[in-house]
Amino acid sequence: MSLKSILRDLKEVRDGLGGISKRSWSKSSHIAPDQTTPPLENIPQSPWASLPPELLHDIIRRVEESETAWPARAAVVSCASVCKSWRGITMEIVRIPEQCGKLTFPISLKQPGPRDSPIQCFIKRNRATATYILYYGLMPSETENDKLLLAARRIRRATCTDFIISLSAKNFSRSSSTYVGKLRSGFLGTKFTIYDNQTSSSTAQGQPNRRLHPKQAAPKLPANSSTVGNVTYELNVLRTRGPRRMHCTMDSIPLSSVIAEPLVVPGIEEEVSSSPSPKGETSTTDREVPDITPGLRDQPLVLKNKSPRWHEQLQCWCLNFKGRVTVASVKNFQLVADIDASLDAPPEEHERVILQFGKIGKDIFTMDYRYPLSAFQAFAICISSFDTKPACEG
Amino acid sequence: MSSSKKSSDGKSSEIEEAVASLTMPFNKILLTSSDGESFEIDEAVARKFQIIAHMIEDDCAGKAIPIDNVTGDILSKIIEYAKKHVVEPDEDEDEEAKKKLDSWDAKFVEKLDLETIFKIILAANYLNFEGLLGFASQTVADYIKDKTPEEVREIFNIENDFTPEEEEAIRKENAWTFNG
Repeated sequence: MSLKSILRDLKEVRDGLGGISKRSWSKSSHIAPDQTTPPLENIPQSPWASLPPELLHDIIRRVEESETAWPARAAVVSCASVCKSWRGITMEIVRIPEQCGKLTFPISLKQPGPRDSPIQCFIKRNRATATYILYYGLMPSETENDKLLLAARRIRRATCTDFIISLSAKNFSRSSSTYVGKLRSGFLGTKFTIYDNQTSSSTAQGQPNRRLHPKQAAPKLPANSSTVGNVTYELNVLRTRGPRRMHCTMDSIPLSSVIAEPLVVPGIEEEVSSSPSPKGETSTTDREVPDITPGLRDQPLVLKNKSPRWHEQLQCWCLNFKGRVTVASVKNFQLVADIDASLDAPPEEHERVILQFGKIGKDIFTMDYRYPLSAFQAFAICISSFDTKPACEG
Repeated sequence: MSSSKKSSDGKSSEIEEAVASLTMPFNKILLTSSDGESFEIDEAVARKFQIIAHMIEDDCAGKAIPIDNVTGDILSKIIEYAKKHVVEPDEDEDEEAKKKLDSWDAKFVEKLDLETIFKIILAANYLNFEGLLGFASQTVADYIKDKTPEEVREIFNIENDFTPEEEEAIRKENAWTFNG
């Protein structure tokens, strides 16, 4: 120990005693107390415990703001795991993916992506184990420490095929807490149904008094209806070696989520739910909603694949994947909302790519998704593309 | 900056303060810590502390101001930082100066233990010294962001007050977070 630190320690002792005893000791007793410096570890009440909440809030906020991408984002989840007050503050700070474009808790995987730009992920296929893993990030990193988001394993059954979707690549048991949902293909392999699990994670249980701020990330998995939607593949109409047609009917997402652009005004209260709230209901100042019957607006959203253009010179079908897909494959697709022309939705809604999937290398595919789809839904739809479908390939 | 140990007799210290304020050079402010240390600093430096800046505006600061909540050792560190940051270099206009200052900041905080940084946060908050408060808070944030929850609890001596059910749910959540 240096002289400086010894002097500092003595000063601390004096200060500490001065602080405690202001009431009882007079300032004239300047005598150093006859005891050794108490080691810091023995102080029962840590000063950090008395840090005012707004200062703790600022510290945790700084962690959240600097750790935006995985694997560093685990730091935010760490903060939420320290104690009740830290968890409360972290939950206030973290926003849903729709608002911040970031994935934080497992529940983020079942919440809609952001509206403006997609969340970019990639999928690695392992043919040997019939496993597909969804990772966060543009493409596999050099260091190979990419964040695993979801994993799926194909299980062939007598009359159908199941893809079990899990939070862990090591556990595909449907009774485990890691089970998230599944994709089941029909006999012909042209129609798939997406199922969500029924169990809700218990992170929010035991905290009944915690008020849910509308914009915070609710950790509890909602008890959705079992069927999330279905995906169908059809032969190309011309029955040539043309691209197949895809339709995804999303039972849990109403058509109104993509009709009527909301004016984003800060402070608008939105419902906390994993299915996107209808745009028209969240804003009091949105533009005039076309006069359509409520029944039509509540219909499930249907996604269809964007028709590629025939490139005469290259003699192939092309889609503008904006660099995110680099290898031609029949599995590649872009999904847009299938909106009836009579509904007078803004033209950009017809063109906005909600889910994009395509090959960039051997057993590596990119997946970019945005509002109103969640990572889970997007992943399930992409997996359907992996299942071989002799019936709909010319 | 002069640092003088005051006598512990209440009355004579008042007189000392009064004398000090009369004899102090113009544009100097005298700050006194809770444990009796005095620091004479330029008004420009003192203005970094918003509560003092307001006092100066309202003309209700004598030239000697007692800082009851902050001890001398912490106050001296805060003043040291404030002096370096009286003029904040513009990153666009003077990149060189900004880099030098950042480097000084890094060395400044490197020597401090967590306990001291905590006290600096409280004091900077009390004095309303935004620059240092932000810097110290960021230092703590950077420190904890690669620590596990257990490590954070140990460092900050925080009690784990989750119920067993909550603990179990969090453990499951963390299984995905840390191992995927």
